[in-house]
Amino acid sequence: MIAANSRQADPRAIAQPERFNAPLFQSLLERLDSGKRCVVLDLGTAHTQTVALFGRYPCRLDIADVVDGLDGLNAEVDPQGRLYRAEALLPVTHAEPADAVLCWDILNYLDRPAMKALMSRVAARSKPGTMVHTLIVYSDTHMPATAGHFVPQEDNSLLDVAIRHDERPAPRYAPTDLTDCLPGFRMERAMLLSNGMQEILFRI
Amino acid sequence: MFELGKKDGSDSGHDSTTTERQDSWSSTQTEAAPSSSSGASRETAVIGRSIRINGDLQGEEDLRIEGDVNGTVRLHNNTLTIGQEGKIRADVYAKSVVVDGVMEGDVYSSERVAIRKSATVLGNITAPRVALDDGARFKGSIEMDPDAVEKALGKTDTDVKAIAKTPQKSKANGSTPAKAAVVEDVATANQSVA
Repeated sequence: MIAANSRQADPRAIAQPERFNAPLFQSLLERLDSGKRCVVLDLGTAHTQTVALFGRYPCRLDIADVVDGLDGLNAEVDPQGRLYRAEALLPVTHAEPADAVLCWDILNYLDRPAMKALMSRVAARSKPGTMVHTLIVYSDTHMPATAGHFVPQEDNSLLDVAIRHDERPAPRYAPTDLTDCLPGFRMERAMLLSNGMQEILFRI
Repeated sequence: MFELGKKDGSDSGHDSTTTERQDSWSSTQTEAAPSSSSGASRETAVIGRSIRINGDLQGEEDLRIEGDVNGTVRLHNNTLTIGQEGKIRADVYAKSVVVDGVMEGDVYSSERVAIRKSATVLGNITAPRVALDDGARFKGSIEMDPDAVEKALGKTDTDVKAIAKTPQKSKANGSTPAKAAVVEDVATANQSVA
């Protein structure tokens, strides 16, 4: 289980929301921009800008908002119970698989068994070719205490709106860690971003 | 018998929760101004916060809900507002929908859905335009494919017209055979993956 030892960030270090380019996120959007209907599964919290962004496409946007359930998923020790919890965090499928899945920074807040459970349920809602986008803390030793603070912008960049009063240790998952925890997913591309995060695109 | 408040939502000063059970409520029974030829009314009917309704609501005027509603709400040509005190567990069919309170159910709107920052919504939205304020809690799907929206609303429109022609008998849980057919047809049988 990820230690929830938090620390207080230096208030002087709390910066304005940080905008950064995320080339693989932009690449994912370009692939959705074919005019064909698509289904996007957003594991994060609902944001005005996310709805506005995907309103540009003929798509159905499924918003899971799993953030509040992550600690409970981590705490579940029974493997079957973990699967049930993971399933309960996700919206119903509508019998239409997702074309793209947005994990944002959520995977950083899951221990390995929880990540495996959640992503196995995500895989069950996907199809061959589904793309999964995620942001992994790479260079920082600590990260914001809670997930879900990345917001897409009109120019397809991302805005980090985290309020870093409280932080917790970052697991700093390596690509091989993620590959182990995401069975059935193939890492397509990975990029190191200017904000110290690693942006990864998986494909089922 | 509850009194239908207008605009200010007064509930006649009831302090305790009044539970009322109605199989159907029609705004034609109110003292609201007659609907204009376009179906829009100048006044807004209000369900006050002490009111609980189980069943189907249908009307031809704008409606603001500050109480509890379980069942179905059909305001084909009007605006439904779920106020900050409002809690509804219902499927909604309306021209426009504004959510400030708690909503659990599916929304079919022919014009626009606005989810305000104080809202909590658990359900699916089908509408040509959806606005969601930051701070709002939402879990579900938002159908933004124009073709799918048109198809879904076309079917719900047919359903509403069919229902308007026949007397309605709602069950205690608010479901009707026509609603079930629309939900099944449009939502293509929501299934959770085992």
